[in-house]
Amino acid sequence: MWERIKNWLEVRIGLDDLVRSQVTDYRVPKNINIFYTLGFVAAIGYLIQVLSGIMLLIHYVPHPDHAFKSVQDIMLKVPFGWLFRQMHVVGSNLMIAAIGLHMLTVFLMGNYKRPRELTWVGGALLLLVTIAFGFSGYLLPWTQLSYWATTVVTSIPTAVPVVGDVVARVLRGGDQVTGTTLSRFFAFHVSVLPPLFLILAGMHVFLIKRIGISATPFGLPAEEKRPWTEYHKKSHADGYPYYPRFFQMDMLMVMVYLALMFFLITVAPNLFFPEEATVPADPFRTPPHVHPEWYLLAPYQMLRIIPNKFLGIIIQLALFLLFLLWPFFDTEKEKNIMKRPMLRVLFLFAFVLWVILMFWGGY
Amino acid sequence: MRYLALSLMMVMMLPSFAAAGYQEDFAREFLSKTWAGERIEENACIDCHSSDQMKPAFREITDEWKKSWHAKNNVFCQDCHGGDPKDPSLSMTHQRGFLGAPDARQVPEFCGKCHIGILKNYLESGHGKALRSTGKGPNCVVCHGSHNVQPANIEIINEQRCSKCHSYERAKVMKQALFLVEKKAGEITDGIKALRRAGIYTAEQERALFNTQAEFRTLFHTVDVSLVNERTDEFTRKLGAIERDIRGTFIELRSRKNFSAFLMALFSGMGVVIFLLSRPPNK
Amino acid sequence: MKRRSFLKGLLAFLGTTTLVSFVYPIFRYLAPPAGTETSKTVVIAKRDIPLGDAREIVFNNVPAIVLNRPGKGLIAVSRVCTHLGCLVQYDAANMRLVCPCHAGIYDLEGNIVSGPPPKPLPKLPLRVEGETIVIG
Repeated sequence: MWERIKNWLEVRIGLDDLVRSQVTDYRVPKNINIFYTLGFVAAIGYLIQVLSGIMLLIHYVPHPDHAFKSVQDIMLKVPFGWLFRQMHVVGSNLMIAAIGLHMLTVFLMGNYKRPRELTWVGGALLLLVTIAFGFSGYLLPWTQLSYWATTVVTSIPTAVPVVGDVVARVLRGGDQVTGTTLSRFFAFHVSVLPPLFLILAGMHVFLIKRIGISATPFGLPAEEKRPWTEYHKKSHADGYPYYPRFFQMDMLMVMVYLALMFFLITVAPNLFFPEEATVPADPFRTPPHVHPEWYLLAPYQMLRIIPNKFLGIIIQLALFLLFLLWPFFDTEKEKNIMKRPMLRVLFLFAFVLWVILMFWGGY
Repeated sequence: MRYLALSLMMVMMLPSFAAAGYQEDFAREFLSKTWAGERIEENACIDCHSSDQMKPAFREITDEWKKSWHAKNNVFCQDCHGGDPKDPSLSMTHQRGFLGAPDARQVPEFCGKCHIGILKNYLESGHGKALRSTGKGPNCVVCHGSHNVQPANIEIINEQRCSKCHSYERAKVMKQALFLVEKKAGEITDGIKALRRAGIYTAEQERALFNTQAEFRTLFHTVDVSLVNERTDEFTRKLGAIERDIRGTFIELRSRKNFSAFLMALFSGMGVVIFLLSRPPNK
Repeated sequence: MKRRSFLKGLLAFLGTTTLVSFVYPIFRYLAPPAGTETSKTVVIAKRDIPLGDAREIVFNNVPAIVLNRPGKGLIAVSRVCTHLGCLVQYDAANMRLVCPCHAGIYDLEGNIVSGPPPKPLPKLPLRVEGETIVIG
């Protein structure tokens, strides 16, 4: 029975050749490590967000009079509504953590260097889209936390002269966060960002397949010749076949991701729900401690401490551009970071600074 | 070239971090715009009565009020005393309905402007009748204070307060009659607090509790012990329903924990099996 | 090889269990709620409520009141005050509904006249069938 189906497909799409080239003969470098699975984990994280999001979409009402109550109904009245909501909330934070880790390991292994600059740029844009997801989704439950965190973050563009106020008003759909804001954030979250993410992710994966998986600089006797001046697909003739070796690693990390998600849902179900996240939005009462989610805390704190608002925004933009176009700044041939003390120092400095700013921003 | 750009950027960042005055600046620039942050109401009554020019006795009033349950629920000076809170020159005029401070006999109607159910019961009670006929007797302020009004609790009935005109025995009997219902209400309040800590939105239960407790406490003002005893069962039943609801929620929370723990175990189990499968077979 | 086939079997078992553990909640989540509380209607005879008078009823566990308003006909509104849940009382002399807890005042349509209530009293569906009034 199974054979008949396979044969039917083989005649139409050349199933054997497809499976061979993508799965069994697709080889990964011999010294591949577990960090290479993080991209796949992030993609699975996205899939979980989409599926749980669709479930939530069925009962959620995107209107300020009903948003809070609809989310409460999902949590308390709809059978297993709490499960999908928790998965969506915990999942969004875990996915951003996975992406962050993926980014860090790609950086440390130097896998963004020529010819893979575009892959890195696509990845940086994917990070931006994911943060936009987090930010737009945050407003939807219409709690005190949602409302005021959104007010604070949408005020940030006002620091830019001339266009700042206009940008803030377009984002918010007015001078204040209102139902108009909710509508446009909802539309973005549900219909604009998902296809945008898929397009960027598709590009990202295409580039990886087309260029070939980069080998890490660790544990290899010879360094690959750089720079290249013509297209050369990287293959690993003596590497492991993707299936079963690397596929198992991918699956293992997915299980770790999911186990971690449910661990958090079990022992700390209120980790992402402080007091202000459990009461409906009140435009007349600002809670004492308003701050964005953890992944936005470092930029938030940086803005707070730079006395000149305009300079603050410019520095943020500059840093983001630096991050986005890093492969064009760092064109050094050497991939092994252990052989590049200056980069190590720079990285450590930036990382420690980011962590300090993140904790500081929480106060 | 790019190293120059990089080092310039790093150099630019450092002194900015060192600069001080950040929080006020941020508050001023981001949070104080009319569209961001709450609107602070200006109140002429509070402005004058809390200023240094005011005599100390009157100055204490605003401090007392600020601690009160009224203040937390946005009940301001003008809501009881009338007058215009927006215009200092008209704040205490007759045209704007200023009532001044009521004397002892006028207190029940003064508070009864809003608390009308309680006023009705009070006027029919021994306390109300005593105040009406003799001008002496416990009015609202005697038990609840005037400006620092706190939510009622059973300890307002105590020996010191309730033996001024008659023996404490009568008050003790009433306190005992109230005790059961009040105790149950206290337990429910704790239960609601625990639910809130667990992240549940408890507005419905809080309203039900408030509703029942308010009705019960209004009843007290008749100071009719037999009436209280008669209706204790009814109130105990109502509170019992709320208690059952709260307990149900806790049970639901526990079952959720179990289910997600089960899912966690499944995923961990699969992870372990995959890991074992990935090890090369020993042949 | 016995170990491997055992492990594969175990994985299949765990995987199926996981799948079922998600399919069941999805099914329960999507399934329409089992019979929305078939609201038992409340029936009163028209002559039980003379003009200007009112009758307190309980509809679907919600205390409510049916008013016979001079010149405006019959109406049924919930008695639960939208402020903090106390039950409003009918003040026939002043043609209004008053809440005894904090003096929230509603007109005989359920709209707010004064006081702390944030929203008007919800109206209940009412129709007159001959000599009877049916709420619900």
